[in-house]
Amino acid sequence: MNVFLAQQADRIELPAIDYAAILPMLIILGAACIGVLFEAFLPKHQRWPGQVVLTLLAIAAAGVALGAYVGGSPAEGTTTLSGTLSIDRPALFLWGTLLALALGAVLLIADRSIEPGGAFVAQAGIAPGTVQDRAQVGSTGMQTEVFPLALFALGGMMAFCSANDLLTMFIALEVLSLPLYLMCGLARRRRLLSQEAAVKYFLLGAFASAFFLYGLALLYGYAGSVKLADIANATAGTDRSDTLLFAGLGLLMVGLLFKGSVGPFHTWTPDVYQGAPTPVTAFMAACTKVAAFGGMLRVLTVAFESTSWEWRGVLWGVAIVSMLIGAVLGLTQTDVKRMIAYSSIAHAGFLLIGTMALTEDGLSGTLFYLLAYGFTTLAAFGVISLVRDSTGEATHLSAWAGLAKRSPLLAAVFTFLLLALAGIPLTSGFVGKFVVFSAALSDGMAPLVVIALVFSAVAAFFYLRVVVLMYFSEPAADGPTVSVPGAFTTAAITLGVAVTLLLGVLPAFALDWAGAGGFAIS
Amino acid sequence: MIASSWLLVAFPALGALILLAGGKRTDAWGHLLGCATVIASFVYGLVLFFSTSFDQASDTTLYSWIPVGALQVDFGLRIDALSVIFVLLITGVGALIHIYSIGYMSDDANRRRFFGYLNLFVASMLILVLGNSFVTLYLGWEGVGLASYLLIGWYQDRPTAATAAKKAFLMNRVGDVGLALAIFLMFKYIGSTGYAEVFAGIGDIPPAAITAIALLLLLGACGKSGQFPLQAWLPDAMEGPTPVSALIHAATMVTAGVYLIARAAPIYNLTEDGRLVVTIVGAFTLLLGSIIGCAYDDIKKVLAYSTVSQIGYMMLAVGLGPFGYALGIAHLLTHGFFKAGLFLGAGSVMHAMNDEVDMRKFGGLRSKMPITFATFGLGYLAIIGFPFLSGFFTKDAIIEAAFGQEGWRGWVFGGAALLAAGITGFYMTRLVLLTFFGKQRWREIKSSDGRDFHPHESPTVMTAPMIVLAVGSVGAGAWLILGDRLADFLAPAVGPLAESEHGVLPHAIVPWLTVLISALGVGLAWMLFGRKETAVERPQNVAWPVRAARKDLYGNALNETLVATPSLWATRFAVFLDNRGVDGAVNGLAAALGGGSGRMRRLQTGFVRSYALSMLGGTVLIVAALLMVRFS
Amino acid sequence: MTPTALFLAQAGADATVSTGEAISFWVLAPIAVAGALGMIFARNAVHSALWLVLTMLSLGMLYLIQQAPFLGFTQIIVYTGAIMMLFLFVLMMVGRESSDSVVEVLRGQRLAAAILGIGVAGVLAGALTRALADVTPAPPLDPWTPEGGAAGGLGRLIFSDYLFPFELTSALLITAAMGAMVLAFTDRHGKTGKRSQRELVEARFRGEYERPSPKPGPGVFATSNSVATPALLPDGSVAPESLSELIESTSAAKLSGERKQVAGDTPQPDAHSLTGSEEQSEERENS
Repeated sequence: MNVFLAQQADRIELPAIDYAAILPMLIILGAACIGVLFEAFLPKHQRWPGQVVLTLLAIAAAGVALGAYVGGSPAEGTTTLSGTLSIDRPALFLWGTLLALALGAVLLIADRSIEPGGAFVAQAGIAPGTVQDRAQVGSTGMQTEVFPLALFALGGMMAFCSANDLLTMFIALEVLSLPLYLMCGLARRRRLLSQEAAVKYFLLGAFASAFFLYGLALLYGYAGSVKLADIANATAGTDRSDTLLFAGLGLLMVGLLFKGSVGPFHTWTPDVYQGAPTPVTAFMAACTKVAAFGGMLRVLTVAFESTSWEWRGVLWGVAIVSMLIGAVLGLTQTDVKRMIAYSSIAHAGFLLIGTMALTEDGLSGTLFYLLAYGFTTLAAFGVISLVRDSTGEATHLSAWAGLAKRSPLLAAVFTFLLLALAGIPLTSGFVGKFVVFSAALSDGMAPLVVIALVFSAVAAFFYLRVVVLMYFSEPAADGPTVSVPGAFTTAAITLGVAVTLLLGVLPAFALDWAGAGGFAIS
Repeated sequence: MIASSWLLVAFPALGALILLAGGKRTDAWGHLLGCATVIASFVYGLVLFFSTSFDQASDTTLYSWIPVGALQVDFGLRIDALSVIFVLLITGVGALIHIYSIGYMSDDANRRRFFGYLNLFVASMLILVLGNSFVTLYLGWEGVGLASYLLIGWYQDRPTAATAAKKAFLMNRVGDVGLALAIFLMFKYIGSTGYAEVFAGIGDIPPAAITAIALLLLLGACGKSGQFPLQAWLPDAMEGPTPVSALIHAATMVTAGVYLIARAAPIYNLTEDGRLVVTIVGAFTLLLGSIIGCAYDDIKKVLAYSTVSQIGYMMLAVGLGPFGYALGIAHLLTHGFFKAGLFLGAGSVMHAMNDEVDMRKFGGLRSKMPITFATFGLGYLAIIGFPFLSGFFTKDAIIEAAFGQEGWRGWVFGGAALLAAGITGFYMTRLVLLTFFGKQRWREIKSSDGRDFHPHESPTVMTAPMIVLAVGSVGAGAWLILGDRLADFLAPAVGPLAESEHGVLPHAIVPWLTVLISALGVGLAWMLFGRKETAVERPQNVAWPVRAARKDLYGNALNETLVATPSLWATRFAVFLDNRGVDGAVNGLAAALGGGSGRMRRLQTGFVRSYALSMLGGTVLIVAALLMVRFS
Repeated sequence: MTPTALFLAQAGADATVSTGEAISFWVLAPIAVAGALGMIFARNAVHSALWLVLTMLSLGMLYLIQQAPFLGFTQIIVYTGAIMMLFLFVLMMVGRESSDSVVEVLRGQRLAAAILGIGVAGVLAGALTRALADVTPAPPLDPWTPEGGAAGGLGRLIFSDYLFPFELTSALLITAAMGAMVLAFTDRHGKTGKRSQRELVEARFRGEYERPSPKPGPGVFATSNSVATPALLPDGSVAPESLSELIESTSAAKLSGERKQVAGDTPQPDAHSLTGSEEQSEERENS
């Protein structure tokens, strides 16, 4: 007992907290908590405006805080909260990317002009197919909890990108995943499909998290610490058994690759992208990818750089499998959301190539690619949400036939986005592929670059197939209509398209930002 | 003048933007705007050409496009002799074809969009030739590919058009991968993709890398220029409207491959093997194209294979290195004139004949369409190398240069080029005879869509460009070649034209030998298709073309034994090779991908337990592989 | 959580295992494994849950033996005591009998799952065996020191080194709570939801319904307890409101006959006629 008393006597030192550095993340998480309070205390009709204003304000404020911090931040980065968070240039770039993408996604989520009440169900608790469910189809309510959930997910992603130890990373992973699981199941239309997607994502996500955790345990057994820097130090010393290291690394990567929807851990992607409400799909496709690859970059660069010889071959295989699955399976898809899902799997393969490079060029190239891909895919899903028929979104490709005749502007915008996904010059996709592939090439991965080019050629085919369908087919008589988007969706699509074009024509400034500095180690 | 040369690109780009984004509001005057932008670029190009000296290349950097780390890609333009020649060709021929299209597309409801695509094409093509780095070239390269793809598929209601567009796209992507890899290799070894830096640093890198770059560039060139083994898309691309065939698939875009190799002359100068492969590809393709050209009855396909064959000549020429760069470009220019003229003539015929393309349904059109006949005839004389017309000078120069090589190369390449000249005479004569001479076979039959034929001369807006091109077909060759005018002009860009000393055949003989061989081809065609037609029974029903073909081909026993059978077999073999071999490979690849996709799709069962299983499988593989890498 | 891994990593490596510890291990470890296997293979969900309880208890005991008392008790109290009991509550509420179909429709799924499962287990077990064979054993933990695995040490870690992840966990909990609300809560008081009994009564008396009292239920007689049987009013006539419209529409003919019968206005055999009415006999055949 004396020992216990003695312990209580000496005070616990609170770790130093650099509030300025983590302010953006604190704003987002704090706003999420306020959003929960809004749900509890605001009357129903005030919740939507309240939540929208709060969410947009929070993202804007976080952006401002980020901008204010970046100016005076140390170039080599800093760690705070006993080294659990590392606020360095890549982390700040990823935060900026995440905030900007989330702004677009929240605009899509908030839109209620395309469908009365928005894309989200009025009451998720009502079982699909019941009398009450039929009654609520016409209601203009929505589960406004989506907004705080999105903010929590965003906060989790930001923490994930800057997590400097595996335990923080794991908790951030869960914080970003759990709201996404929930949001997937909240579609207003085709609710069973949506709920099925949510359950699938949840089950497989839990499965992947288990692998991540097992890997974490093994790595702790190896290094005696969960800090990335300690693991890196441990790999430098040779007296320990590498078995734990590599088994742990393998399992850890499974969890990360799952989040990045890299094949063969991609299986959830098409089903979830298809089933989830389209604004949520846009959020997931853009932001989760950024967070997952941001985390992967940090883990591989900081903790496992010295063992890259051993694991690189394995990741080569994973990248090839991912590109193969994405490009080849995308060819026969008939649903446009699934097609974009397979495209995201192929893009995950390309991203993995840049992630593996572990050079300055590889880091900045991958960061740039994430930025470019995020905005393109965000705008693409925004466009998809506009093509509708009586049952909701018309995502079957046959419904897109001859769309250029009904709505030339929409077809032109979507064509541009597809060309960006295919990597045609003057779009951000080309610059992204270019910087990633040239980084990989100069790091001695020439065969992989050749394979990637071949697969990007294959993948370009299915993007162009949609273009042909839109321009060169006769529209079906009972085809879908193109909704006139409200201000929110228009803003989101415009943002995505403008950034895609801007990064294609003037990528210099973004490349400068992406290449501003490396990871802070400790 | 040079500093604001970006205006060259900006005019048509702006036109494309206005026409494509403007929608129906621009329908009334869209075609005029489309023509105006290209004419503006042409005028600017002319002024530039006459006001500037091209003794050395002048690069203007517009802005820094992709600056990352060591990689620096600037978006800039290079004005030198080579690019300004191309600018004049593209905008000049382009302007003529734009004007022609006003008449040709007058019935099309989407004429404005057509002009938008054409402007897009011209802008992309100008970027391709004006760019001062390989990445900028690649930008234009993809742009023209896109425009070509959109325009091949123009007649969207025809499934063949969609298939052709798809095929063109796929085969071009194969070439694009080659070009992209070449650019990556340059970046890897030289650290830059700008022409100035690459050409300055190319000498310091390993010879194997130079050869690899050269071969990869060649792969890109083959894809874009329809060279073996990527030639099959070009004839199918004739599904597009005829002005497109004339502009993109005859005069300009398909010659981009030749431009690429001429532009990369400092690279090819360093690699003998690379040049040899270019030459072989060119020689093989020119024979292949000309032989297949004999087999088709479709007037546009014959011209398309003729294009394949003529580009083969250009490739052969540029493959000869310093002996041939200027000659290849010269032939490219004259070919741009006469082939565009021939296509426009074919389009004029089709316009008059209810869009029919089967030559066997034509015949005796010369009296109905005198202007078309005259211009087409001049183009025909130019392409077969009639003395002192364009083709005579430029093609003979290439054949001379080929015979100028030493040893087996001289005999093989020269022989191939000479033989193809004869075959060119044969199929082009056949085309002209079947179309413009003989009986007016169309009087007895109806077109495929059931209408009677009422051939008539085309409107002035169509014939005027044809006349201009015909003038070019007649005079351009002499003007370019005599006194080495073009070679001297191009010397700062591609190096001076070398004259070979130890050729296998003396220079004086070759031109006359060529004329002789061509005349033989013409005569043979005359015997088979011109002289014999009076003896052919007047066909009674629609199925006559088949019987007539047999009678023509087997009627003369001497011809049969000596020429027809072997050439028929050669033709059949070449067609077989083309359809089964190359097309089969492409279609088979597509089918394999589709089939593989279908099979792999079954793994996506929709059951979450099967998804978990695949994740588990991936995990076992990753962990086991990591451990094996470490402990093996 | 982190000390767990440390203990696990060192458990097999401690060269000097006392006899008591060894005996405990060899008793508890097979039970834990058996419990895990039982959880997977039990057909009944409740049995699965109980097997899992067994595993967790064994693990808790093992932690205690490893001188991690806080972790051991937390395992038992939180996991076994709280979480698993909650699981069981839910299972019991859903119904012990309700279970999913266990017929496997995917060809080769089970075989592949078995092979891959054994594969993962084999690879990891092999790796761990190999790894732990050459680890220098760490000195045993002393829970009475700040670094030991006791509550004090953990608390110190949570509020110093791992302050941020600990605080971040709150986001997780809030999300989970809100998720439960979103998925399970339906607004019964809104326009579309059900009314409470009191609201209903008030609405009835305000005249929003056609009558203040509930509608009569179906009749229950010795011969029938079907909802299709109409209730009778005191005078013996059928209460029309007791007839379900749905059922009436399905067998209207039958019901109309019965109604007539019960109401007593069926045409009786006419005493003056020699035969029964044809109409009646037909109706009987129909019924």
